[in-house]
Amino acid sequence: MKRLPWPAFAGVGVIALLALAAPVLGLGNPVTMDVAHRLAGPSAAHWLGQDEFGRDVLTRLVWGARVSLSVAFAASALACVIGTALGVLGGFLRGIVEMLTLRSIDVLLCFPPLLLALLVVTLAGPGATTLIPVLALVYLPGFTRVAYAGVLTARSQDYVEAMRVLGAGKGRIMLRTILPNIGGPVLVQFSLAAASAVVLESGLSFLGLGVVPPAPSWGLMIGAARATMVQAPLLLLWPCLALTLTILAMNALCDGLRDAVDPHPAYRTGRRRMLDLLAPGLLPQERAVLDLRGLTVAIDTPAGPIQPVRDVSLQLFPGETLALVGESGSGKSLTSLAVTGLLPGAARVAAGAAWLDGTDLVRLPEEKLRLLRGRTMAMIFQDPSSSLNPVHRVGHQIAEAIQAHRRMAPGEPVELLRRVGIPDPERRVRAFPHELSGGMRQRVMIAIAIANGPRLLIADEPTTALDVTIQAQVLDLLAEFKRQSRLSLLFITHSLPVVAEIADRVAVMYAGEIVEQGPMAEVFARPLHPYTAALLRSAPVEDGPPPEGIPGVVPPPHALPPGCTFAPRCPKRVPACEAAHPALVQVAPGRQTRCIRWDA
Amino acid sequence: MNAPLVRADSLTRHFGTAGLFGRGRPVQAVTEVSLSIARGEAVGLVGESGSGKSTVGRLLLGLLPATSGRALFDGTDLAQAKPAELRALRRRMQLVFQDPYGSLDPRRTVGAQIADALVIHGIVPPPARAARVAALLEQVGLAPEHAQRYPHEFSGGQRQRVGIARALATGPDFLVADEPVSALDVSVQAQVLALLADLRTRLGLAMLFISHDLPVVRHLCDRVAVMYLGRVMEEGPVAQVFASPRHPYTRALLSAAPSLHARHRRTRILLQGEPPSPADPPSGCVFRTRCPYALPACAEQIPALQGTEHRVACIRDDID
Amino acid sequence: MSIVLVWVVATVVFMAIHLVPGDPAELLLSQGGAAPDPGVVADLRTQLGLDRPLLAQYADYMLRLLHGDLGQSMQDDSPVTAEIVRRLPRTLELLLVAALFSVAVGLPAGTAAAMRRGSAFDRISSATAGLALAVPVFVLGTLMVMLFAQMLRWVPAGGYVAFARDPLQHLLLLSMPGLTIGVGLAAVVFRMTRAAVLDVMLRDYVRTARAKGVAQRRILLRHVVRTALMPVVTVLALHLGTLLGGTVLVEYVFNWPGLSGLLVSAVNARDYPEVVGIVLVISVLFVALNLAVDILYGVLDPRVRR
Repeated sequence: MKRLPWPAFAGVGVIALLALAAPVLGLGNPVTMDVAHRLAGPSAAHWLGQDEFGRDVLTRLVWGARVSLSVAFAASALACVIGTALGVLGGFLRGIVEMLTLRSIDVLLCFPPLLLALLVVTLAGPGATTLIPVLALVYLPGFTRVAYAGVLTARSQDYVEAMRVLGAGKGRIMLRTILPNIGGPVLVQFSLAAASAVVLESGLSFLGLGVVPPAPSWGLMIGAARATMVQAPLLLLWPCLALTLTILAMNALCDGLRDAVDPHPAYRTGRRRMLDLLAPGLLPQERAVLDLRGLTVAIDTPAGPIQPVRDVSLQLFPGETLALVGESGSGKSLTSLAVTGLLPGAARVAAGAAWLDGTDLVRLPEEKLRLLRGRTMAMIFQDPSSSLNPVHRVGHQIAEAIQAHRRMAPGEPVELLRRVGIPDPERRVRAFPHELSGGMRQRVMIAIAIANGPRLLIADEPTTALDVTIQAQVLDLLAEFKRQSRLSLLFITHSLPVVAEIADRVAVMYAGEIVEQGPMAEVFARPLHPYTAALLRSAPVEDGPPPEGIPGVVPPPHALPPGCTFAPRCPKRVPACEAAHPALVQVAPGRQTRCIRWDA
Repeated sequence: MNAPLVRADSLTRHFGTAGLFGRGRPVQAVTEVSLSIARGEAVGLVGESGSGKSTVGRLLLGLLPATSGRALFDGTDLAQAKPAELRALRRRMQLVFQDPYGSLDPRRTVGAQIADALVIHGIVPPPARAARVAALLEQVGLAPEHAQRYPHEFSGGQRQRVGIARALATGPDFLVADEPVSALDVSVQAQVLALLADLRTRLGLAMLFISHDLPVVRHLCDRVAVMYLGRVMEEGPVAQVFASPRHPYTRALLSAAPSLHARHRRTRILLQGEPPSPADPPSGCVFRTRCPYALPACAEQIPALQGTEHRVACIRDDID
Repeated sequence: MSIVLVWVVATVVFMAIHLVPGDPAELLLSQGGAAPDPGVVADLRTQLGLDRPLLAQYADYMLRLLHGDLGQSMQDDSPVTAEIVRRLPRTLELLLVAALFSVAVGLPAGTAAAMRRGSAFDRISSATAGLALAVPVFVLGTLMVMLFAQMLRWVPAGGYVAFARDPLQHLLLLSMPGLTIGVGLAAVVFRMTRAAVLDVMLRDYVRTARAKGVAQRRILLRHVVRTALMPVVTVLALHLGTLLGGTVLVEYVFNWPGLSGLLVSAVNARDYPEVVGIVLVISVLFVALNLAVDILYGVLDPRVRR
C-alpha cells in the first residue's frame, strides 16, 4: 500500500474539528442580529465582519461548516450502509435478488442527482431533515455499484474458490475474504460521496431549497451575499473561500485514498544518458549483423539505481539464429528492448554499445533509430493479443508498418498475409484483431515484422502464449523465412526444447549476465557453466531421468552476491567463487563461460 | 484393484451464452467424458486451451454442476449428496491452482489460510493448530516461521508450495492439480513436480494432473487421457500412449512438442488450421476438420472410445 | 431496452407523489405547517385527478404522455409541454457551449500534460484542474458576476435575449453561464484525458507501433488519442447527463430562463405537474444520452460491435 495523503487528511481533519468544536469556541450565537452594524467590515470583535443582519460572519462560517459537514457525513453514511448492503447481497446471492437490486439502482441512475433531490424536495419540503435522506438516495447507487463490482471481482478470484474447495460456507467466505476486499473501494466511494454531498447541499441551500434560514449554511450565506455584492464583496468571498477550500481538501483526500487503495505502478521518467566518448575497444566486429558490447541497462528505483542487465556482449551473424535463454528476471527481454530503443521510461542504457551493421544504436538519435526500426530490424512480441491495436483493422496495421518507411504497392498487405499462411487473406485483411485466433494474430505480427525485409528479426517469446500445435506452426513459419531470406534471428525464450529446435547458437543469461555462450549442439551436449547444466537437468525429457530442480532462488538485482551470481545455488561452489566476480572467458573457439571451474 | 475412488460417468457440461433471451449456442466445454481414477493413481489430462480439461477437474470436485452425466467420489454421486455429506467429501478432495499469485488471499498470512481448512472441518483442536500448520509447511519444504508471512513475501514456487500445503491440510485422498507448474520457471517447476511426486507416494494420493506439457505428464502420471474440443480422444497407460499413440490427434500433439534431444524428435505432423469453436463443433469426430487421415465416414458418427487398457476414439485403426 | 427504462422512469415519477405518506394534495398545499383550507385541498384533488382510482389515474397519465401531454401548470393553467419546449433549447445551448469549451481545452491540455509527464506544464495544469473541480458552479458563477459584471462592467450580469433579435448580445449573454459550466467540465475532461493517455502509452500495441518505426506524431494520433478517447467520451457524456439537472444553479445565478430555472420556480411554487413534466423530460434525455454513448462506443471500439 502506498503512502496515505496526510496533508489532505490534516486539512479535512482541521475543518471537521472546527465544526465539531463550534459550540465551545466561544464564538457566540450565529443567529444573533445586530442590525445597527449591518454590512460592517472586519473589526476586532468581528474578524471577518458582519452580514446584512449584522450577524458575525466568522461565527456563521464555523457553524455553517457544522451544518454542511454533518448533513454530508450523515447522508453518505446512510447511503454507504444501505448501498453497500444491497450491492453485497446482490453480488453474493445472485439470481432474483441480484436482478432486483441492480434494476432498481439503474432506475435511480436515470435521474440526474440534483434533479432527484429537487423532486423529493418538492414532495417533502426543504430543511436539513429532508436533505439527509434525499442526499442518501442520490449517493446510494454509487455504493451499490462499487460493492457489487467488488463482490463480483472477488468471487472470481482463485483464492475465493480455494475457500469453496476447503468446504467453507457462504457466510465465512463473505466475512473473511469478500468484505476486506471491497473495503478499500467503498471507503473511496464514501469520501467521494461526502465531498459531492457538501457541494450538493450548499447548492440546494443556495437556491433556498436546502437548509432553512436563519440556520447558518455556506450555500445560504453565498445566496444572501449576492444581493449586497457591490457594497460588501468580502461578504460573498468568505463563504466561497470556505466552501472551495473544504472541497479542495476533500477532493485531495479522495484522490489520495484512491491511489492508496488501488495502486497503479508508479512510473518514473528517465532519460537515456548519452555516453560521451567511445572507448577504442568498443568498435564492432567485422561481419556481425548485431554486435553487443558490454551492454548494461540501469533502472532508477526509489532505493537507488539497479542494473538488471550487466555487461552483455554477443554477436549475431547473417542468416544465423541465436537463442537468448533465461528464466524470468534474467534480463533477456530488457536486453532486446535496449537494442531497439524501446526500453520502458524508467530504464536506460548505462554503458556499452549495440552495433547494427556498423551503426551504434545506443547513441543514435531517436528519429534515426525510428527509421531503422521496422525496416532494418523488426520485432515480434510475446502476447499477440495485446500487441495489436484492437481498434484498427489488421490490414491497416500492416500497411502502417510499410508506409512508415516507403510507398506501399496496392495489395501488399494481402500478399503478406498470404506469405504468413493466413487462409483467405483478401477477407482477413479487413478483420479486427479480436476476430482472429491467437495463432493468426501472431502470424499477423510476423507479417508486420517481415513487411520491409529486415536484416535482423528479434522475437521475444513469440510462441509462449500459444498452444503446442500452433507453436509448431509458428516455429515452422519462422524457419521457412530464415531459409528464404538469410534473415538473422535473435530468439528470446525460456524454453530449452524450443531452443533445441531452432537455434544455431545459444547464449544463456542468469541474473542479468551472460553465463555461457556457444553453438547450441555443443552447449546442450557439454554445458560449461553449472547453471546451464542445472537448467538442462530441470527440463523434463520424455524417457530420461525425472527433472531436477535448482535449489534456492535467483538473487534480485538489488541484492546480488559479491562473487559469482550463481554461487549460492551452485553444487560446484568453492570459496574462490564467492570471493570475486568471474569474467566471461573464452575456453574454446566460439565457447564462452562465466565460471572459474569450467574444467573441473 | 477394487472400485475406483473417482469416476466420471458420461460427464457433460455446457455453458450457456450471455444474451437477454438466451440466444446463441451453448459452449460445449465437456461432452460425455468417462474416466476413472483408482486410489493412489495419478492420471494426466492433457489437451490444448479450450479442450475442456480444467472444466473436467472442476466437475470432478463438484465445484460445477454437470449438465448431464455423473461425477462420483468413492461411490457417492456429488450431485445427489446432501450438504453435510458434501462437506465431509470436500475434506477428501482438494485442488491445487495454476496461478500461485491469484490463489492466495493477499490480505491474510499464509498460516491463517492454511489453518482455514482445519477450522472449517474442526480437524484439530485450536491449541494444536499452530503445530499442525507448521508440520504442513515442513511437509512441502517450507519453514514453520513462514506461517506468519503474507503471500507477497514469497516467490512463485514458494507460493505454489503454500497452495499445496493448504490442499493437504484436510488430509485428502484425491488431488486435482490444474496446471500447477505452468506459471513457474523451469528450474522451479522441477522442484514443485518433485514435491508432488514425493507427496503422492508418501501419502498415497490419487491425482488428476491437468497439463499441456506432455513430458511432465510422462514423468508424473500412471495413465493419461488426451482431450480435444471437450472429448477424450485417447486414454491409456502413459508408457503405451507415448510410445505408440493411436489417435491421429495424439500423434500430432506428441510430434508438435519440441524436444531437447534430436533422438526423441518424431516426424512432425503439422496440423493445419486451428481448433474449431466449442460452440459449434464439427459433426461426427470433432477432430476430423484438422485430421490428416479423415475419411468421409468420419463426419457421419461420433466414434466411441474403444479398447480396454488403452482406449481410443477413432474409426481409423488401419493407419501407421 | 431504453424504451423500458423510459417507461419505468415515467412510472416512478408518477408513483412518487403516492409514495409520500399522507394525503398528497394536502402535502402540496401545506406551507410552513399551517393546515390548508379543506375546500382548496378538495379542489386540488379533483384537478390532479387524485380522487379517482389509482389504476385509472395511471392509465390516463400514460395515455396523455403518449400524446406528449404533460398536463397543466398549477400556477396559471398553461400547458406544461409548451413551456418545456420553449425553454429546453436554451438549456441545451448552455450545455453545448460548455461541452465544446471543455473538449477544446481539456483534450489538448490533457494529452500534452500526459506526454510531458512531470513537467512544469503538467504540474501547473493538473493543479489548475484540481482547483477548478473544487469550485462549485454557483460559487464560480457568482464570483464571475461580481468580477466581470459588477466590478469591471464588461458584460451584463445576466439575462436573456433571443438570438433572432440580437445575435451578438445573445452570444455574449450565453458565454458567461456557458463558460462557468465549461470550466469544471474542462477539468474533468483534462484529468480523464491525461489518465487515459498515460495508460494507453504503456500498452503493448504502442510498443508495436514504435517497433514498426512509425513516427511519434502518428503514434500519438492514431494509436494513443484514438483509444484514449473512449473513456473520455464516456465520462464527458455522463457528466453532461448529470449537468442536465445541474444547470439549475447556473441558470439561477445568471438569470438564464432555461428549463432548470423553470424547475426551481416550479419547486418553489410546489407546482407538481410542472415538476413531474420537467423531471420526466430531463430523465428521458439522460437515458437517450446514455444510449448515444453506447452507440458511440460501438463506433470507436470494434470489439463492442456485434
